Amino acid sequence: MADIISIETGAGPAGRLSAGRLRFCVFIAIAAFMIAGPAAEQVFGVQSPWLRSWTMFSAIGLGVIDASFEIRQPDGALVPLDRFAMLDAPRNGKLKWIQNPEELASVIKRLCTAAGQGSDIRVRARLATRDGWQIIHTDAENACAD
Amino acid sequence: MPAPTDAAGLRPMHALAASFVHWAVGTEGSSRSSALIRIGLAMLFWSRWAGELLFYMDQSPIGLFLAANFFVATTLLFVGYQSRAAAVWTGAVGLAMYYYFGFQFGREPWTHHHTYLLAVAALLIALTPCDRSYSLDRYLAVMRAERAGLPAPAERGNLWGLRLIVVQLCVLYFFAAFDKSSYAFLSGARIEAIFLWYYAGSDYPAGLAWFATIASVAVVALEYSLAFGLPFRATRRYLLLPGLAFHAIIYVTLPVYTFSATMVLLYLAYFDADAVDKVIARLQGIGLKEEIS
Repeated sequence: MADIISIETGAGPAGRLSAGRLRFCVFIAIAAFMIAGPAAEQVFGVQSPWLRSWTMFSAIGLGVIDASFEIRQPDGALVPLDRFAMLDAPRNGKLKWIQNPEELASVIKRLCTAAGQGSDIRVRARLATRDGWQIIHTDAENACAD
Repeated sequence: MPAPTDAAGLRPMHALAASFVHWAVGTEGSSRSSALIRIGLAMLFWSRWAGELLFYMDQSPIGLFLAANFFVATTLLFVGYQSRAAAVWTGAVGLAMYYYFGFQFGREPWTHHHTYLLAVAALLIALTPCDRSYSLDRYLAVMRAERAGLPAPAERGNLWGLRLIVVQLCVLYFFAAFDKSSYAFLSGARIEAIFLWYYAGSDYPAGLAWFATIASVAVVALEYSLAFGLPFRATRRYLLLPGLAFHAIIYVTLPVYTFSATMVLLYLAYFDADAVDKVIARLQGIGLKEEIS
């Protein structure tokens, strides 16, 4: 490699040759640092604020809950339940985002209270994790019976 | 005799290595694209932090020290006085914001990608001849040459800093794609979660699943393509518009701050600096005038 660098960095005097070699060494060192940062975290699992991992949006959205609600009608049919209408809450307010399982439990409790005693509310919910969606509530049972 | 055969076998590797070394540190070219990046970076620093660093915002000694350094360094970078030193100074300010104020003091979102990218870009532009065009340095050099009865200095220099920017962008794209190369992302789940987080809340919109899956695969494929394709002219022509569109989309849909704009600005490093110079000359009518005369 040294002779390649010598060829490429000019046939000038010895001092210029050294500058070219130095520049190439610095180039390789900087490039190696650029690669080492993300490789350390993504390949070897080493986390450090000193190294940039370039993991984009890997944490955004984690913990958010996708939830849907249904309520059983007197004729036995399950119909979608609008939690905003049931709780008389604004659609762009705090209720729009259910951010953790505890908050989901609280919403279910409020819906059951609002629907009245003996109501049958089914809840399907899943939690966003780094490995994908994780089901945290199924509609197999009446959520108000808990 | 095995030796000559081995030597012949190694010749293509030798030529490839020589070609890489020439590309990396042996290319001289126009300084105008470096200067444009220098000016663009100064403007991006201002657009991102000037408001946050006004003197009344943080009146502690260290806050005032940071603000003073920020405004002096970026102004020098913008006007191009002692341009390369100003680039180092600006990059150092950016890194101080990222590491010291961001990680040590917990000031957010100063630890995000866009901060690091701007700081690193400023440091790398210091390794280019960014002082030789569109700068006060250039004006003073021309004045000196005129007084001495010499021709104006050439707007050229070694472009190894631009090559390092190319390496940085390739590494960024590759590892951004590598991180997403998992079932969780490619299934669309992570894009769905991001969409719910920023837009839909906890109500999953109909039709999101297929859109998220297609978008996820497309994003990963595009990022790998950008990592390996943008450095080469033959593939760059097909990837440039998708790359620009990708950054435009994430700029208007997600809080990426100056990240998209910085990436687009740094795309200039991919292009042959002399070709950029020719385009600028044509836009200014210089090429046309020369052809007529």
